[in-house]
Amino acid sequence: MAANFWKSSHCQQWLLEKQLLDQVRQDDLAVLSEDEYQKVMIFIAGLVQALGEQLKVRQQVIGTATMYMKRFYSRNSLGSVDPLLLAPTAIFLASKVEEFGVISNSRLISTCQAVVKNRFAFAYPQEFPYKIAHVLECEFFLLELMDCCLVLYHPYRPLLHYAHDMGEPERVLPLAWKIVNDSLRTDVHLLYPPYQIALAALHMACVMLNRDAKQWFAELSVDMDKIMEITRQILALYTLWKNYDEKRDIPAILNKMPKPKTAPDK
Amino acid sequence: MQKYEKLEKIGEGTYGTVFKAKNKENHEIVALKRVRLDDDDEGVPSSALREICLLKELKHKNIVRLTDVLHSERKLTLVFEYCDQDLKKYFDSCNGEIEAEVVKSFLYQLLRGLAFCHSHNVLHRDLKPQNLLINKNGELKLADFGLARAFGIPVRCYSAEVVTLWYRPPDVLFGAKLYSTSIDMWSAGCIFAELANAGRPLFPGNDVNDQLKRIFKSLGTPTEDTWPGVAQLPDYKQFPIYQPTMSFSQVVPKLSAKGRDLLQRLLVCNPAHRMSAEDGMAHPYFYDLNPALRT
Repeated sequence: MAANFWKSSHCQQWLLEKQLLDQVRQDDLAVLSEDEYQKVMIFIAGLVQALGEQLKVRQQVIGTATMYMKRFYSRNSLGSVDPLLLAPTAIFLASKVEEFGVISNSRLISTCQAVVKNRFAFAYPQEFPYKIAHVLECEFFLLELMDCCLVLYHPYRPLLHYAHDMGEPERVLPLAWKIVNDSLRTDVHLLYPPYQIALAALHMACVMLNRDAKQWFAELSVDMDKIMEITRQILALYTLWKNYDEKRDIPAILNKMPKPKTAPDK
Repeated sequence: MQKYEKLEKIGEGTYGTVFKAKNKENHEIVALKRVRLDDDDEGVPSSALREICLLKELKHKNIVRLTDVLHSERKLTLVFEYCDQDLKKYFDSCNGEIEAEVVKSFLYQLLRGLAFCHSHNVLHRDLKPQNLLINKNGELKLADFGLARAFGIPVRCYSAEVVTLWYRPPDVLFGAKLYSTSIDMWSAGCIFAELANAGRPLFPGNDVNDQLKRIFKSLGTPTEDTWPGVAQLPDYKQFPIYQPTMSFSQVVPKLSAKGRDLLQRLLVCNPAHRMSAEDGMAHPYFYDLNPALRT
């Protein structure tokens, strides 16, 4: 359904205002600093990525699942649903929506157990506590929270288009692509349409690679202020990343993060 | 769920029971489709998710409108606009007589709904009279998108088991895995003929073999000349070379010459040569269409 972004639920219901994000985060930001909140978000995106890779789903499924998570926490406190439960749920739902097929229950749970044990033991020293019933229940919450808006538009397609239009796509595309991947760890996908994110990534790649594309951007007649806003947010991510040792920082942050009232019953 | 009062059961859909119900607040009549979640481990069924995904994005007067999704304890209920009947029931109630103008109007609306789906890269894949809803204003709406899916480029292999046999095109019957919008256009052609014959199905085959035989006896057996690559299809089987025994004036005696011409362009065995929905809408058959329908 790639034909019309402007009439899509993504455009009409899920491009949010920054104030709304700030408002919802108030509770979480009472216990976490702004940086710590971002670190949790980076951590969760990494969790989705690791699960997706282990389950061998396409990157598109991982991207969609990451966005589902971002959407969920754009309306809810981190304490409403444990990210460790939401991550596999988002992958499970995204895999069906992106026509990648149903991930079997046993495979999903055993993958979660293995990934937590082998890669995230620093954050979760105990074994993965959830059963499939929790995932299915959570899928329900996720659907409801998103008002069943499941179809997402990613920046990759416009990025390809722009890079080819600019000429010599092989020079800038790989880096721009990577920047788009990284941007999933920021809020930009909740705030800006995908084509603007694609342009910001392309612009950043041109600057980093010393490619003069001023003329091309000038002729685009897009709102460069928006492109710069996106760029600033992605650059802020890179700055944060530089001094961020996940294994060192995350356990303490998770420890003080708000938690769901009801822990899973074994 | 308290918002709606259930009135009666309408039928069974791909993945759940459908009820007629009344909105207690504004007395609007709606159709409720309850999604079963109990049986297996799939969570929310893929077919229900497809329908939700597509109908959330596709809003068009010839596509049934999803007005709400209700969540309750382990139950998901889709709320649709209510239509009085489906085309199959309409056939049953029309006593072998459908006015030429109604045939034209229904086909036009069917093509318009399809053109919209196809322009959004969505295939319906399961068109049949039961999936076309008719309301009392004579509006026709595509429904039951449980098997529909967005298709991208490249087109992946889809399961061959999708379209109800009678409305299934020969390429799919031969096991073609890469199909496109042409799949819906064949079904539209079959439904057009059925409309013109007031509800008599065009190719009511009993099994795949019988289905193909009926098609080829009517249209002639395709050859490598008329359909390059047909013999390479996975389930290709050789059929006797039938010459078309009946002319289209015998197949659809009540249909005008222009109507027959359009039908012939839809019922083309080679999917590459089947007319598109958009081109169909521009066909001379519709030159004298009631202008009110074009808006």
